Amino acid sequence: MLARSHSDHEGDDHGIDLAPMLDFVLNLLIFFIITTSFVKETGVVVTKPEAQTAAHKESGNILIAIRENGELWMDRRQVELRDVRANIERMHAERPEDTVVIVADKSAKSGLMAKVMDEVRLGGIKDVSVAAAAPAG
Amino acid sequence: MRLRRHGQGPSLESSTGIDLAPMLDFVLNLLIFFIITAVFAKEVALSMNRAGGGATAGTAESDSLPISIMANGDIWLDNRVVDVRAVRANVERAHATKPKLGVLVIAQEEAEAGVVIQVVDQIRLAGVDNISFSSAAGTGG
Repeated sequence: MLARSHSDHEGDDHGIDLAPMLDFVLNLLIFFIITTSFVKETGVVVTKPEAQTAAHKESGNILIAIRENGELWMDRRQVELRDVRANIERMHAERPEDTVVIVADKSAKSGLMAKVMDEVRLGGIKDVSVAAAAPAG
Repeated sequence: MRLRRHGQGPSLESSTGIDLAPMLDFVLNLLIFFIITAVFAKEVALSMNRAGGGATAGTAESDSLPISIMANGDIWLDNRVVDVRAVRANVERAHATKPKLGVLVIAQEEAEAGVVIQVVDQIRLAGVDNISFSSAAGTGG
């Protein structure tokens, strides 16, 4: 309707020419398809310890939460320690470039954290890191 | 623009080839889906190696400075208890004498993960990147 003002153009009886917009939108679409990575959220909130040297993990998108009381959560489900390995193996088969971030609560047991790290490594993912929060202020 | 063609009949449409509007609708829906599901906030994390003790052996521990974390939160380094804030200075001093030094963090199973993260953070601040994490059972020390 806006393009009606350009009355000297021959193809204007259909309103706006959609082709350039379509090109642009398709480019956007391809960009988002390529860059999208489905992060497997844990489904629980934990208090992360603070660390000044924590760095952004680019491909850390399998999250395993360890709650204060020792519960393990991954992919919005509570899992047992012995199930972690099978879950990781399945996810590793689906997307081999995924890495694991363990989101341990500040007051979770470090022994459990070590066991989870072992299970993840047994599941085939060698790149394991531990989540931390950037210090406030 | 899309609404207009319903009112004006088919005579205007036939002049310019394929009607792109339905395709555009579909593509826009796809676009919105991917924009919504895109995650821009990446997790902030510390990476550390896993050493000894467990089922998956890590790197060699030949030349590493051991730091023990007890279940009650005490940090042992060089046979004495140190504060979290003193870890950095101690590791820096050791790192200055031996630049290839790695640090082995041995935490008791009951030690809190938060303390471990703090210690690893301090070690990284001291300039050592080769950090191994090991877990020890029992209460001896």
